Order: sequence, then structure tokens, then C-alpha cells
Amino acid sequence: MRLPTVADIEQRLPKPEDFESRARGTELTARVGTMLGIAFSICFLTGMWSHFQYTTPGWLPLGPNPTQLYRWTQGTHVLSGMAAIPLLLVKLWSVFPRLFALPPKKFDRHLAIDLVEKASIGILVASSFFMLFSGLLNIAQWYPWAFSFRRTHEAVAWIAIGSLIVHIGVKLPVIREGLGAPIEHRDHALDADAPTRRSILQGAVAASGLVVLLTAGQTVPFLRKVSVFAVRDGQGPQDLPINRTAKGAGAATEAKDPQFVLEIVAGDQTLSLSRDQLLAMPQRTHRLPIACVEGWSRNADWTGVALRDVIALLDAPPHSAVKIRSMQTKGAFGVSLLPASYVEDHRTLLALELNGETLSLDHGYPCRIIAPNRPGVFQTKWVKRLEIQA
Amino acid sequence: MRALRGALLLIGVGFGLWGLWLMRDFTGAQLISIGTWFGGAVVLHDAILAPLTVILGVVAARHLPGHFRASTATAFLLWATLTVVFIPVLSGQGGKPDNATILGRPYLLSWIVMTVVIAAVAAILALRRRQTVEGQV
Repeated sequence: MRLPTVADIEQRLPKPEDFESRARGTELTARVGTMLGIAFSICFLTGMWSHFQYTTPGWLPLGPNPTQLYRWTQGTHVLSGMAAIPLLLVKLWSVFPRLFALPPKKFDRHLAIDLVEKASIGILVASSFFMLFSGLLNIAQWYPWAFSFRRTHEAVAWIAIGSLIVHIGVKLPVIREGLGAPIEHRDHALDADAPTRRSILQGAVAASGLVVLLTAGQTVPFLRKVSVFAVRDGQGPQDLPINRTAKGAGAATEAKDPQFVLEIVAGDQTLSLSRDQLLAMPQRTHRLPIACVEGWSRNADWTGVALRDVIALLDAPPHSAVKIRSMQTKGAFGVSLLPASYVEDHRTLLALELNGETLSLDHGYPCRIIAPNRPGVFQTKWVKRLEIQA
Repeated sequence: MRALRGALLLIGVGFGLWGLWLMRDFTGAQLISIGTWFGGAVVLHDAILAPLTVILGVVAARHLPGHFRASTATAFLLWATLTVVFIPVLSGQGGKPDNATILGRPYLLSWIVMTVVIAAVAAILALRRRQTVEGQV
């Protein structure tokens, strides 16, 4: 028995022209691709906006206004990413036969161009899948990987969007031709029963729209009952979902300690306040959202002391940022730095009550930070110490 | 056109290199995990899901009655892409046992209802198409 030669294998591989569906074609690919490109752009820009919340560049004046801004950008980020998945799958279906186009046989620049193009498409496809599915799993708090989600999701985003821009550059003439031509195949009437390109395009748009409708309720209140596939249903103790419980954060024991005092430090001055002393200070109530990086959000009524009133008890320099330390012993974000623009806003609270009740343990009892236009991970719970940064 | 395409290529490569630069301090184990995801997703799609879809398409085109073909294709598109998006909530993975405010919905029931509704709508559209076609004859 002889081993199969390259020619034998080539003969057995399918060829692009073996795929018979006339619904495939540049005219469809260009249209779905344009929509996918728009979804990717929105997802990329809102995603970078979110990364800026973690490492804020000096030129970017992030502040407490508009109150609901992060809620909107991050809700849009997660929804545009999910909406992109059906578009990506349909787009790949429409070009699948091209995977079997064999490279030129001669070693010349055509072969080089072909290989570079194939490599760039490989990177685009792999990084697109990576972005959409790592995000999709992350919002369900499912982490089957060994990398840091936030940093990797940021780095690969540049690779995905970069390879998308390369792809658009390479395919620009084809895209223009595809968008300029009528969508249907000229022979499509020969097989009147077959799915048409228009029906595939409409199906892709419908699937994308349904994904949004069936999940957006985690951030859009009036869709809450419709969005049966949303990770969050908006419910929770005191009418608010929880990202991490007191037990999960390793804060439960210390948070329940009746001897709790909040420490406030400015330089060499230190002040200790019990929860009752905080309650004796002027109380304010504000309606502010928890807007989680995972794309869910919900407004709530928060009551407590304005952080700036607490700071004013000490002789601290104006325009100071405040470092907030939590009792949590497990996981990230046990310490957050609240920039001065947030500290000075009268709506930034050291909250003691939520929706008219004493803050529950899982919402951050004995006291927590709530500030307008901040990602949920920085709304530090179980606060034990405030350090005013000179 | 030529200048625009050249600019796009340069910008795109620049963005990609910036992405690689951001990974410069990643450990070997992290990079292997990223590589597994990159390769795994492509293999899962190109070697399994896409060929399976092609085979189903060929079988449907050969064996389904003509008036069923278009609506079945659209129904499959909707059902398959939505199912892929809902894999995490259907999987039973994710969330934390001490947090009842995440993944608290009957997703499997919703998915069964979704499947039945899509199949029913596709069947109704196919039967209506048969009536229209027969009416024309």
C-alpha cells in the first residue's frame, strides 16, 4: 500500500465551487460584514471607555457626570458584543468555501500575498471569537482560563480591531463591489425554493435583534420580563442584584462585628466613627445606579452621609482623592481610589441604607461607597478605612 | 483608494502590535491559555460547527419538500446562532453557589419554548408557501 500523495489529498478536499448554495456570495458577505464592523466598532469604543475607568489617562476628565454614563456605555458594550455573535457566524458561513481555496502553486509574490492574507484572516477570526466568547462567559462569571480577563480582553481587542482594519484595507475593492451590486444571485430564480441571500441577511439581523431583546433586560428596566436569557433578572435582596456576597469576599465576620468603627485618616490625623455616629450626621438620599462591568445595572435609592461631609471632619487639603479600604480579604478591588471630582460631588455617599432599609450584609453593611457614573467594582462595599490623599 | 488601503494596513498592523505589547509581561501559562482559546475557537468552528452546518444544508436541500427549504434555513439560522449565544446561561456553569442574584432564571425551559416556537413558525410559513405555490398552478 502506498502512502497518499499531496495530489491524492488535494483531490479529496472539497473545492470552493463544490459548495452549491447560491445564497453565499460577496453581495451577502459585504452587507453582513458591514453590520458586523459597526457592532465591533461600538463594542471596541465602549470597551476602551471601560478600560479608561481602571487606568485613567491624564488628558481624560472622568467625573461624576453624566450620572448614568457608565451604565449606558457598559450596557451597550455587552449588548453590542452579544449582537455581533449571530452576525459573525453568518458572515463566516457566507465565506466558508473560501477556506478551501488552495494557495497558488508557484513560489512567487502571489503566494506570499495569499499567505499573508490568509494569516491576517486567521488572526481576525481567532481574535474575534476570543473577544466575543471570553466576554460572553465572563458576564456569566464563568472563567475557564488561566489569564487575567480584563487585561487580556483589552490587549486582544487591539489585535481584533487591528486585524479588522487590515482586512477592510485588503478587501476594500471587493466590499465596494459587493455593496454596489444587487443582493440576489442572478440565477436565484432557477431554484425558487432555495433560501435567498435576502432571507439570510434578514435572518442574521433578526437573530442579532432577538439576542438584544432577550438579554437587554439586565440593564433596560422595561425589558426585564422579556429578557428571559439575561444573566441577571434585576432581583436581589433590597431590590438590587449582588456581584459578590460578603462570604464570597471574605468580609462577613468583620462586617458583623458590633464594635465596628470607620477610620478616617488624613496625614497624621485619625478619626474613628461608629455606625451610630455616622447615622447621627446629616443624611442624604440619592437615586444612583449600580452599573456593573458585566453589563447589568439597576437604579436604587441610597441614603447615607455625603463622603465630603465625612472628609470635612478632618483638616484635609481641598481637591483630595480618597483611598477606600474594604474589609474584604478575598478577590480583587479590596482597595479603590476615588478621584477628587467624585469626592466633591454631594451625591457621593457613604451609604448606610438601601431602598429605605438598613444596608444588608451582601450590599456592604455596615457602610459602602456609592458614587455617580462609576463602574460597580469601584463602589467599594464593607468600608473600614478612608485615607485622604494629600 | 491605494493610499487609503495603505493607510488602513499600516493602522491595522500598528493596533495589532500595540495589543501584543500590552501582553509583554504575561506569563507563559497565561499565553498558553490565550493560545489555546485562539486555536480552539477556530478549530471548533472550522472543523466541526461549519462542516456540520454545510452537511445539514446539503441534506435539507436534497430531502426536504421544496416549500420547507427556505423557512427551515431561516429557522436553523435563528435557532443555531441564538443557541450559541445562550450556551453560558444554559450550561449550568458560572455564577457562585452563595449568590442567588445571578443566573436565576429557568433558561432551559426558555430554550425549549424558543425551539418549539421557531419550529412552529417555520412549519406554518412552509405550509402557507405550499398553498401559495399550489394556488399559482
